Amino acid sequence: MGYVIRIRPKPVKPLAVVLAPVASFALAFIVGGLLMVWAGVDPVSGYTAFVQGSLTTFPGFMQTLVQATLFMLMATGIAISNRAGVLNVGAEGQYIVGAILATYVAVELQQTLHPALVVVLAMLLAAIGGALWALIPGVLRGYMNVNEVVTTVILNWLAYRVLQWIIRGPLRLPGPQLYPMSPPITATLPVLEPSSGLNAGLIVAVALAVFSYLMLFNTEIGFKIRVTGSNPDLARYAGFGVERVVVLSMSYSGALAGIAGGVEVLGNLHYLFEGISIGLGYTSIIVSLVARDHPLGVIAASIMFGTIYSGSSFLQTATHLTYTFSKALEGLIYLFVLVTTLFAFYEIKLVKVS
Amino acid sequence: MSSRECQAIVEMRGIVKRFPGVVANDHVDLKICRGEVLAILGENGAGKTTLMNVLYGLYLPDEGEIYVKGRRVSHRSPRDAIENGIGMVHQHFTLVDDLTVAENVVLGAEKFRVFYDLEKLAREIDEFMRTIGLYVDPLKKAHELSAGEKQKVEILKALYRKVEVLILDEPTSVLSPIEVRELFKTVRNLKSTGISVVFISHKLDEVMEIADRIVVMRGGKVVGELARHEATKQLLATLMIGSRAVNIEEKFGKRVRPAGKLLEVVDLWVKGDRGEDSLKAVNLVVRKGEIVGIAGVAGSGQRELAEAIYGLRPAWRGRILLEGKDITRAHTVERIKMGVSLIPEDRLRYGVAAELPVYENIYLEKVHLEGRKSLLDRVGLRVLDKRGMVDYAKKVVEKFSVKTPSVFTNAGKLSGGNIQRLIVGRELERKPLLVIADEPTAGLDIAATNFVRKTIVEMSEAGAGVLLISSDLQEVLELSDKVVILCNGEVMGVFRPGELSMEEIGLLMSCAKRMSKEEVERAWGT
Ligand SMILES: Nc1ncnc2c1ncn2[C@@H]1O[C@H](COP(=O)(O)OP(=O)(O)O)[C@@H](O)[C@H]1O
Ligand SMILES: [Mg+2]
Repeated sequence: MGYVIRIRPKPVKPLAVVLAPVASFALAFIVGGLLMVWAGVDPVSGYTAFVQGSLTTFPGFMQTLVQATLFMLMATGIAISNRAGVLNVGAEGQYIVGAILATYVAVELQQTLHPALVVVLAMLLAAIGGALWALIPGVLRGYMNVNEVVTTVILNWLAYRVLQWIIRGPLRLPGPQLYPMSPPITATLPVLEPSSGLNAGLIVAVALAVFSYLMLFNTEIGFKIRVTGSNPDLARYAGFGVERVVVLSMSYSGALAGIAGGVEVLGNLHYLFEGISIGLGYTSIIVSLVARDHPLGVIAASIMFGTIYSGSSFLQTATHLTYTFSKALEGLIYLFVLVTTLFAFYEIKLVKVS
Repeated sequence: MSSRECQAIVEMRGIVKRFPGVVANDHVDLKICRGEVLAILGENGAGKTTLMNVLYGLYLPDEGEIYVKGRRVSHRSPRDAIENGIGMVHQHFTLVDDLTVAENVVLGAEKFRVFYDLEKLAREIDEFMRTIGLYVDPLKKAHELSAGEKQKVEILKALYRKVEVLILDEPTSVLSPIEVRELFKTVRNLKSTGISVVFISHKLDEVMEIADRIVVMRGGKVVGELARHEATKQLLATLMIGSRAVNIEEKFGKRVRPAGKLLEVVDLWVKGDRGEDSLKAVNLVVRKGEIVGIAGVAGSGQRELAEAIYGLRPAWRGRILLEGKDITRAHTVERIKMGVSLIPEDRLRYGVAAELPVYENIYLEKVHLEGRKSLLDRVGLRVLDKRGMVDYAKKVVEKFSVKTPSVFTNAGKLSGGNIQRLIVGRELERKPLLVIADEPTAGLDIAATNFVRKTIVEMSEAGAGVLLISSDLQEVLELSDKVVILCNGEVMGVFRPGELSMEEIGLLMSCAKRMSKEEVERAWGT
């Protein structure tokens, strides 16, 4: 006997879907402004920099889209598994595994094969790697009822350890470096806008979000996912093979996170290093929360979160605020958004389980 | 008892109680006389429970006045009501599982008794129970009691507080026929000691048997008040359901002769939730066009039988055959595809996906029945035919009169009765070969009950086999071609309705008697 917190979406008015996140932003900005005053920066110029770095200038907006791409991929996956009633806290780990495998394929094959083929293979393997990394908690949850939150967090840690090892061992760029990194990747994703490095990853992300939306609401498997998430007992009674639905949605979620890892190394960085893991996989959980687990909502929410990310990064360059401050501001906004949307969109209940 | 002799102990005047969207009690006047059994009869949702909850202090009325023995009172909590001599036993029991019967009886009645001598308390309560003539072992823990015993303890709790009016809300819904007999005896006993009993029910037979006076409610209003001798079943039914009056005595059409074996259960052993043997060596045959009824005291293995046949619960011994094909280990999907459907007893659990619209909830298992043609279909990406789903749902909603604003409304918004209609519709409209109907009419009003029964009979006439599980013995006897009595997971007897007396059936249901192998085999043979 024990208690678990059960979070379920509750019906809300269409207006609230937009208002709640906006209100939480406003609130966060006010508090952030006070913090800036306290840090000795004029909040008006601070926020001007913030907006310039993310929305109102072309390079700023491009930067936002680059960031939004990663959120979009991971949050779409998380939304799908959430719809099946499984919480994938492991996007971070699946993203790392995807990045490692993509780098590996690229570095190994880019000298011998056509770059386009290398990119396709690398992205494919990133997806498969992410899916397999998510398959483990999926199977444990689906067939043995082991809590997926615990297992995914452990696997995140493990993935990070593998990353640390791989860039110091098998994938190390020889010679003295500032920090351990892989050899450069030359087989890269097609670039859409050169100054920001915005690449085809965005197209992949939007396409997958739209595909996920269609799948979720218009196909047999999507139907099974939604029934399973809403009432697993009913799904079992209807002969849906709940175990399989759980494993499948978790793997799908992992595949998308893996693709995000591939986009990061093949599109944005063109090499692999420890710094790829900065917790975007965790932030993506909030993104899908704000989107109410709706793949199309994820597109909007990702752009919103991309704005916060690039805006607060630009703050630091434009003012004398420290990296830590801008990160704190970013975190503060996430927190406000998280709390507001949780209470506005979800019914949170403490339920007894035996 | 004519109104001239009525010595009113309680009078409710102009009671109005509103809930969001409904007026549960609409200017209700009610009088309870001393020493009478007053039945409040009405369909589900008529407002019976609400009215009594107002009297018992659980709800404050929005309008209206309550008088007890001529004095104006305001009951703000059950404590106030009990002080004024009014007790109530609800549909759901409120006993503390880990306490003994004796402790449960006194719990809350005596203040400041933190330490007590259990033995002494048990002796006191033992004595008390003997004077009342209602006995349950005072040292048994509440969770060890049967439903009937729990109800007795609830009644004892009220009597211990010296109530003069005892309200029983649908008291028979949890009891076996034998326990109902006992309850009626108790009610008559109480009446003879001058206690007034308010008996809430939607079952005509019971009301006709036990009541001195009958108040009929419909749509939150009192629509009739009759003395027992003025009432007929037909009259009461008409009052109860108003313009939708149907003849409840109506006999269903003669059935076609059952044909070949559809379902065969051989030596089936199934474990219950706690690992106990819920079904022991059960044998069963359902032929095409036949209704086989399963009756027994609640918890005799009915639910496990339904789940085992539908594939939700594994059989650890024995076989289940459908049209001669062994399906003992088949997945539920296979069984659904072969034409098995289940109206589950546990509607809270297996009912609906609350966040999904009605039309998807109705479609549910039909997802398996579509052909898989293209590659997309085979990998689960078959595009759903929404138009078709919606049209189908509209048909089911219409046919089974599911009250919902639209088929796009989330199923969680529907009331319990409508969710049940949705389930029944979903399971029957699919044109199944074998219907397992587990308590298909529990909680439905008369009109809906009749409709479901008729539909079940029609399905069997059209050649489907039906396994009808019901705690309503009358229902089983009326509808079934053969009746199987379960007790403690074992088949105690098989017979055709009318072959056995109620006494004999009662003995079978309580494991007191078992039909011989030959008798059982003969019953299956016919
Ligand atoms: N606590 C409540 N909140 C909202 N509606 C209620 C509540 N209790 C009862 N109702 C509604 O009031 C009406 C009467 O219900 P009830 O008194 O339980 O009927 P009955 O006991 O005759 O079946 C129903 O429509 C029911 O849905
Ligand atoms: Mg009631």
